[in-house]
Amino acid sequence: MAELTDIVNETIRREIEEYIERPDEVERNVGLFARTRPLMQEISAALIEGDDGTVDRLTKRALDENIDALEIMDDGLIAGMGIVGIKFRDNFIYVPEVLACARAMKAGMTYIEPILSASGVKPLATVVMGTVKGDLHDIGKNLCIMMLRGSGFSVVDLGVDTSDDEFIDAVEEHKAPILGMSALLTTTMPNMGRTIEAFIDADLREDVKIMVGGAPVTQEFADDMGADAYGKDALDCVAVAKGFVSVQA
Amino acid sequence: MANVQVQTMTSRERVLAGLRRDPVDRTPVCNPTSVATVELMDLVDAHFPEANRDPRMMARLAATGYTELGFDSIMPVFSIIQESSALGCKMQWEQKDNWPTVRMREPIWRDVDDIRIPNDFLTHPDTACVIEAIKLLKMEFGDEVAIIGKTMGPWTLGYHCFGVEPFLLMSLDDPGKTKLALERMKEATIQFGVAQIEAGADALTLPDHATGDLVSGEYYDRYLKDMHAEFVDLIPAPLILHICGRTVDRMNSIAETGMAAFHFDSKNKPQESMDIIRDRISLIGNINNPETLYAKEPEAVREEVCANLEAGVHMIGPECAIPLQTSIENLLAIPRAVRDWHAGHADN
Repeated sequence: MAELTDIVNETIRREIEEYIERPDEVERNVGLFARTRPLMQEISAALIEGDDGTVDRLTKRALDENIDALEIMDDGLIAGMGIVGIKFRDNFIYVPEVLACARAMKAGMTYIEPILSASGVKPLATVVMGTVKGDLHDIGKNLCIMMLRGSGFSVVDLGVDTSDDEFIDAVEEHKAPILGMSALLTTTMPNMGRTIEAFIDADLREDVKIMVGGAPVTQEFADDMGADAYGKDALDCVAVAKGFVSVQA
Repeated sequence: MANVQVQTMTSRERVLAGLRRDPVDRTPVCNPTSVATVELMDLVDAHFPEANRDPRMMARLAATGYTELGFDSIMPVFSIIQESSALGCKMQWEQKDNWPTVRMREPIWRDVDDIRIPNDFLTHPDTACVIEAIKLLKMEFGDEVAIIGKTMGPWTLGYHCFGVEPFLLMSLDDPGKTKLALERMKEATIQFGVAQIEAGADALTLPDHATGDLVSGEYYDRYLKDMHAEFVDLIPAPLILHICGRTVDRMNSIAETGMAAFHFDSKNKPQESMDIIRDRISLIGNINNPETLYAKEPEAVREEVCANLEAGVHMIGPECAIPLQTSIENLLAIPRAVRDWHAGHADN
């Protein structure tokens, strides 16, 4: 079994020691980073620190050294975002820090995405995300999108104030197996139920898994609306999505 | 603290005493945030969005908090958009059953040098509406009931005018610039607050959403604590700070600002919150909105009221602006539960 001392990068070792408390998550991350090459660990460390300039530079260097784009994404960027998600869930960092880490992830993905698209490498799944009709709040949705992309999903972001038709059209166009809806207002929460009804009326309900979330949303509400799942925070959203596609969270 | 020796107070006296933590005849029922509902809009024929923009409709709808629900306060500012609208933000006014909202995805400022409080800030229709509504309420109700105004703090104005993500990223990338931005934006908070007091407001709610759901407690200390203390000196009325979400980690700092009260969210336990503030500030709250007031029955509302009273929370009310579809029955349960609790504890 891998040990913490098998991880070359001091920042990564410190992050795992100081911020990851659940034994299963410690074991998974130690196992992951112990086998990744040092340059990937450097990319992860820079991403965790929100250093988009360094992530940009190191991603380019890794590609120049002919390291596979998929390896850079999985072992550098996604691995780093995994630790970011845990720290956010456990309140070691807050939204400003997560935004900076997401910015760093984006810096790396600017190089990676075109390569993966061209080579036909598929994401875990496509997720359509939007804030429901009448609601202009999107920070929660955006955090979920950052975490989903940081975990290997492709996300179609419909933005805010999204109508039933817009959700349906996007799911059909992108053949998305997963739809995520967000609401921050109790006045707009019922629109989640209306959208789910619209999918039933369009005979599409069986083709898509629907998850809902947002500050006023609860498991009970999600069940009443007919959603398949409720995500209580951004990391939970990823776990739910992975559950839909049967990937280990 | 309720004192059976205190003779019967008017609602206004009760709220003002509660803000000073002076003896009261019974715990005040107070709404630092909106208790407007679709049912109440229908009752007095004052509907959103017009009730957010017409002073007579605004006053008429706001008054129902006292006349129909039995709260000890009237708070006419149903949403959080007036200042941002007057600063030039783009608005989405919505319909009767939804809140007007700032289009934060279309921010009006990118940099600190963009910040400008326009000369007509207080005469803009949306700020002027509030000022006029307060005058109308004061004329109608005099000293009978507490009139609470509302002025948004600079952190919230930052979200509205810069956009949430750009503002939060700026707070991390450039703390100096962020502090300067807050310094410049606070003028809007002060101007609007003072204008409402001059119009007759007895107290002001000051929402400033540095919530634990978004930022750390350290952020509150770094960016807002001193400024909130400054507001206490510059705005001549009791101030009720409102921050949604988890705030236990910053309540000690909030209690040190000198603000009269803190309006707290149901994510924070009443007793734990009372233990932290140690009577340095009044607590108002914290009946849950989406799960209890919106979705459950009056008995569940009663339970939460009693939990707050048992903890010694100074004033009872919903945790935030209530869902527009909340039933009047559930809202009536709040003052009813307060009265019943006091009747049951009369010998204590």
